[in-house]
Amino acid sequence: MNTEERRSLGNDEIRTIIMTAITGGAFGLLYGYGFEFSLWLGVSIGALFGVAIGFRISIKPPKMEYPMSIFRRIMMAATFFLLTSFGYSYLLDQDLSQAQQYWAAILPLLGWAALIISIGVAIANLDELQRRIQTEAIAIGFAGTAVFVGGYALFQFSGLAEVNVGVVIFPMSVFWLIGKLWTLWRYR
Amino acid sequence: MKSKLKILRAERDWSQAQLAEALGVSRQTINAIETGRYDPSLPLAFKMAKLFGCSIEEIFFPDEIEK
Repeated sequence: MNTEERRSLGNDEIRTIIMTAITGGAFGLLYGYGFEFSLWLGVSIGALFGVAIGFRISIKPPKMEYPMSIFRRIMMAATFFLLTSFGYSYLLDQDLSQAQQYWAAILPLLGWAALIISIGVAIANLDELQRRIQTEAIAIGFAGTAVFVGGYALFQFSGLAEVNVGVVIFPMSVFWLIGKLWTLWRYR
Repeated sequence: MKSKLKILRAERDWSQAQLAEALGVSRQTINAIETGRYDPSLPLAFKMAKLFGCSIEEIFFPDEIEK
């Protein structure tokens, strides 16, 4: 069976494209604000990028196909996460008291919680092979991140620059992607 | 573990997608089982046996036994 089959755009695909556009817009809003360029430009570029990704996924689904409703739910949680992160950045730039800043720091944690719950629900909804692939990818991501962070900490003693702990998300994402590609190849 | 899944499916003239839908799994799972890269769980194996009207041993067998 040909998995590279192209699809026409139905309601499901259009909903996916709209969702990725919204997520892209939220991403653009956060980065537009963070890097201090026009918010409208950030939202527009992000939304266009989101439409492109949504369109690509809709007409040419990835080899390991997941139900689009699961993907949309994760995108919805990611949008919430991005908006809470934007809200946090915006509030920090206001003249807040120390106590208010602590409360503001809770805001992105709500976004994180939504993202983690949506990913957990998504994994629970996958079939057994897809669940194994995701679990192995997460395990590789976790182990890789631990080695990377531990290694970096040792290099820090030798004078390497200290970095914000938030950047750990980047090596984590890279190792998860490596794990995903590796397990996809194993069960191809 | 080896399986006769591909033969049983071909006998019924089903596509991987049709079998996947009947079993409530993805097409990739069927493909991975047929190519011997993934061993299904016991509940899925029972589902397959029920669908094909045979026992699990008639579908799956250890690598060293050729049927």
